[in-house]
Amino acid sequence: MTSIVSIREATKDYHLGKVIVPALRGINLDVKEGEFLSIAGPSGSGKTTLLNLIGCVDTPTAGTVEVAGRDISKLSERQLTDLRLHTIGFIFQSFNLVNVLDVFRNVELPLLLQRVSSASERRTRVESLLARVGLSQLMKHRPSELSGGQRQRVAIARALVTRPRLVLADEPTANLDSVTGQNILDLMRELNQTEHTTFIFSTHDARVMAYANKIVRIADGRVSAVEELDERASVREGKNQSYPKLSGEA
Amino acid sequence: MPAILSTFLVIAEIAFRNLFASKWKTLIVGGIIGFGAFLVVVGTSVVDGVDRAMRRSVTGSLSGHIQVYSNKSKGELELMGSMGGGPMDVEPLNDFERIREAVASIPNVAAVVPMGVDTAMVSSGNTVDQALGKLRSTINALEQGDKSADTLKKYDAQKAHVQQMVRLLRRELDNGKLVSDQRLPEEDAQALERASSDEFWASFDGDRYDHLELLENKVASLAMDADLLQLRYVGTDPQAFAKAFDRMSVVDGELIPEGKRGFMFSKYMYEEMIKLKTARGLDKIKHAMEDRQEKIAMVPELQRIVRENRTGIRELMLQLDALRTEDFRKKLQAFLKSDQTDVAQLLASFFDTNDQNFLERYDFFYRELAPQLELYRIRIGDSLMIKTFTKSGYVQSANLKVYGTYNFQGLERSPQAGAINMMDLVSFRELYGFMTDERAAEIAAIQKAAGAKEVSRENAESELFGARPTETAEAPAAQALAAESAADPLASLRGTRELKEKREAAFNPAELEKGVALSAAIIVKDENKIADTMRAIEAAGKERNLPLKAITWQQASGLIGQFATLMRAVLYATVLIIFVVALVVINNALVMATLERVREFGTLRAVGAQRRFILAMLVLESIVIGVSSGAVGALLGISLLLWLGRVGIPAVTLELSFFFSGPRLFPSVTPEQVMFSFITVLIVSVISSIYPAWLAMRVSPREAMSAED
Repeated sequence: MTSIVSIREATKDYHLGKVIVPALRGINLDVKEGEFLSIAGPSGSGKTTLLNLIGCVDTPTAGTVEVAGRDISKLSERQLTDLRLHTIGFIFQSFNLVNVLDVFRNVELPLLLQRVSSASERRTRVESLLARVGLSQLMKHRPSELSGGQRQRVAIARALVTRPRLVLADEPTANLDSVTGQNILDLMRELNQTEHTTFIFSTHDARVMAYANKIVRIADGRVSAVEELDERASVREGKNQSYPKLSGEA
Repeated sequence: MPAILSTFLVIAEIAFRNLFASKWKTLIVGGIIGFGAFLVVVGTSVVDGVDRAMRRSVTGSLSGHIQVYSNKSKGELELMGSMGGGPMDVEPLNDFERIREAVASIPNVAAVVPMGVDTAMVSSGNTVDQALGKLRSTINALEQGDKSADTLKKYDAQKAHVQQMVRLLRRELDNGKLVSDQRLPEEDAQALERASSDEFWASFDGDRYDHLELLENKVASLAMDADLLQLRYVGTDPQAFAKAFDRMSVVDGELIPEGKRGFMFSKYMYEEMIKLKTARGLDKIKHAMEDRQEKIAMVPELQRIVRENRTGIRELMLQLDALRTEDFRKKLQAFLKSDQTDVAQLLASFFDTNDQNFLERYDFFYRELAPQLELYRIRIGDSLMIKTFTKSGYVQSANLKVYGTYNFQGLERSPQAGAINMMDLVSFRELYGFMTDERAAEIAAIQKAAGAKEVSRENAESELFGARPTETAEAPAAQALAAESAADPLASLRGTRELKEKREAAFNPAELEKGVALSAAIIVKDENKIADTMRAIEAAGKERNLPLKAITWQQASGLIGQFATLMRAVLYATVLIIFVVALVVINNALVMATLERVREFGTLRAVGAQRRFILAMLVLESIVIGVSSGAVGALLGISLLLWLGRVGIPAVTLELSFFFSGPRLFPSVTPEQVMFSFITVLIVSVISSIYPAWLAMRVSPREAMSAED
């Protein structure tokens, strides 16, 4: 399997006035296509910065970050935007839907940005995805009329509607209750398996991590551990075990 | 549907929906833009209306569309009076006939009217003088042997009237002594003393002329109520003038007939300056109450008029002889239910009007009192002595019959256009100091009568110091007269009275055409071709070697003509200021709104929207607000204008009635004005959204990742 993300000795410094704050201190990471990977670490560990680099919304101070075979340091702002548009789907902690557009329009938006010219094609793709996430009945609703879980489903549909090779999810269940969170993760996992889309999500929640087949632990701007988990085992384990038992960590 | 269009539609949809999503922003921005659009629509429409009205007023009354005058002039032609108030320094156009011929050859010219504008002082007439004049003519009749009962009765009445006047004058001057230091010269005081004594009147019939002379020479001048009126007038061909200027109409009397010398008052001046002041005061109050719904109790100006009417009854009192005094006393006592016997007191309380009793007293005044009074100091049919200073400093005068009054429709109450009176061009030329054929003949007659002859420079010496000193001594004086067009024709014309009489009657109409004029008013057929016509006139002048300069009606009417332009400038400046303020406020509101939407922009950027998408989105949002609130503002403006177009904007002041060309302005709204306001509003909304849009465009996609608080 080829790497969709390849990071070599990537560092990222932030400037706070005259003080330089190192967020990443030399990261090496490969993400294989089709993986369901969790980036874990406490707040301030640098996981959001890492996610930003992978998501092409930021570039490293040093080292290289390759996404879909392209060194993002060498791309222009416009090319980065195009790379995001065609290769990456985003799922946000706070859903980040366009509140003034209905569910259908929110999901359709990336296709419009991609200039998919056929309206019928857009409609088919949006409707099939909304069916997949179980929101066919709510297409004409506004985000404000939906529950948190429903909103995150819309966000998942929006992330996947362009058939990206990589989906980034930043703490996707942080704003959801545990049952809803599980459902969302199940959905992501299912899509990962059926569409072979690579998923990378950040979390500090052990129950969420349990869904991944690989956990990359970040601490102080470095990869502190990489845990390979048996896919099925982990999922089964995560599903079978009662939730509170796994919540011992973090 | 092409993708770009779909993208545009979704941007438009986001933009449109955002209007409702952030209501306060929409309200602020929309309110300002709507108000701006409203102001632009209403403002431009009213200014255009004033522009049109002024054009109609000015072109239809005095200036015509184009004024032509001599390009040799040092000053500029200012028909409506200059700012400095001084005389115009305009060279005359000689030989008007050739100028008419040149100008009339241009196809777009409909009419050419010769004219000249000047100012003269006119004595309004001393009431005592007038009464004495009447008495003198009656005495003349008596002395010539007319002893009819009618004449005797008239004589007694007139004598009593003069006696009453003298008594009144005496009392007035005595009162005056109490309040001021001014003392009469001893000689005058003695004369007045004598004239008001009973012996004087007892002995009056003994030597009428002797007594009359004392009154005329010593007493009349003490009355001091003859104010000098400054009259502006246009000398023109009255018949051609009335034909060319469609807004002119004769109110009283008749138009100055062809070939006749004469004068016409503008109705406004006639009412304002010539009418009995108390009557004029009543008219003004009535007009204010009926046309403007004003109340005496509320308006200081009306209270002032009431006060003036109450105290200013002297002019009226002087008109009352014994009979009329008695009549007034009876009528006023009955009307006021008073037992006061002093008519002056009765009149004072009669004119002390208020909102309740005004209309009743107004009616009573015109029904009962006015028929006994001379309402106008100069009547239609009287002759008017006009005196001017020529450019060389000599006094010229002419005695002209007043044929009537006229006004310009729509400008009846406007002092600007209403202040111009009219006379025939031939008299104008004389008063202005031009040499006319008649005058040349007259001077020749004087020279002949005085025994003067032409003295040329070459043989001046031999002529002047030659054999016949008695004859030639007169020559330089006559020469000076001829050169400067005579000082006072009445003084120097004693020997040629019959010539003068003939001159007053009539002149040959051809003379009107052939002589000089200060300018010519041109009426065109097509108003849109004024500029072309002006060029054609100047070209025709060059071709025929005539010194023609053409100016537009705006230029000719000076500041007044520029008023619409000035108003437009003020409007645009106001709009500009409002829009600069609007830019700042809108910009601020949009920046605030942008800051609130940072996550939204970050998200859009993260999921793949290019910067220009964000830019387009925000600019479009502003345009949507601009267009929708602009449309609301414009619609409000249009509906206000449609309403105003029906009921009109009242001209609350006299000045406004000129600018409105009538008592009301009826503005109309054109598609151009609406388009103009729309484009302005659009520009403002786009400009004001540029900075916030630029800020939004630079929002990093990272912002989408940050957690919500």
